[in-house]
Amino acid sequence: MRDGFHDIEWLARTRAEGDVQAWLSLMPYARRIGVTAQADPDGEGLLFRLDPREENVGNVLLPALHGGVVAAFMETAATLDLMLAAREPRLPRIVDLSIDYLRTARVVPTLARCTLLREGRRLGNVQVTAWQEREGVPIATARLHFVLGAPSAR
Amino acid sequence: MPPDHTPSAADWHRALARFVAVIPHTRALGLEVLEATPEGVTLRLPWHEDLLGDAPRGLVHGGVLTMLLDTACGAAVLPALPAPEVCPTLDLRVDHFRPGVAGQAILAEARVVRVTASVVFTEGTLRQQAQPLARGIGNFVRLGPRNTPPGFAEALFAEQPFDEAPFEERNDHA
Repeated sequence: MRDGFHDIEWLARTRAEGDVQAWLSLMPYARRIGVTAQADPDGEGLLFRLDPREENVGNVLLPALHGGVVAAFMETAATLDLMLAAREPRLPRIVDLSIDYLRTARVVPTLARCTLLREGRRLGNVQVTAWQEREGVPIATARLHFVLGAPSAR
Repeated sequence: MPPDHTPSAADWHRALARFVAVIPHTRALGLEVLEATPEGVTLRLPWHEDLLGDAPRGLVHGGVLTMLLDTACGAAVLPALPAPEVCPTLDLRVDHFRPGVAGQAILAEARVVRVTASVVFTEGTLRQQAQPLARGIGNFVRLGPRNTPPGFAEALFAEQPFDEAPFEERNDHA
């Protein structure tokens, strides 16, 4: 089987190495909108960043980022964060998402941090906060449910 | 179009085609408007490799579906109002029934469920070849005529290129 999220050995290895870049490289839409991740300088998890690129604009006159692109960024963050934060290598599959838009997203870098509120045997609940100028002034919050699949053995 | 003229289905189709063409993200992805009336809109997102979220397995990124539902529900708002008004997304809920697969266009149907003085309630469904992928429920804030730029309706139906018209102007969230 080719390398990928479905391959337990590959997932376990990249996870042990904290190789989030390897995961992002298999997510073309996340790459297209410019999602990156780094070790959170202020915590144990990951800090995510959405690049303020022209093609992410949803409103030309303000201008502002497309709300759907911000949601896709937050879903990517939640997925990657969950893969790293889970007790064992699991393959998250999204069940539902709810996003609240709190402020206009300007065309500047957007950051996000996730909290794994619950990791059950079958389901995970992740909360995401996205901000621009300051973390205390979020532009959007989201919560997502994932089914935690067992990747197949090689 | 004179102000007292009720837009026809063809007028709305043209207006919403401009709406998705002026948004850089949806323009870049080649989003098309198939149908647009006060009863609802149908959009079509053509297939592109960049839509994948799991490349080895050929599955569409869930965020693409959220983006498409936000766009489709937002587009459905405009023809359903008494007069075109600026309406940013307040919140959006997406239920994923099954992942989208590589190689197929995604169809988005959205409609307005209810219009109140302050909020427009919408819902939408995504399909690939008649197979439902996801459902979305989006609520949009009515900023009202006071916060809608003058010439908004005219720009929506104007004949000149969109980029020169004050179509997309939005105030900050009220």
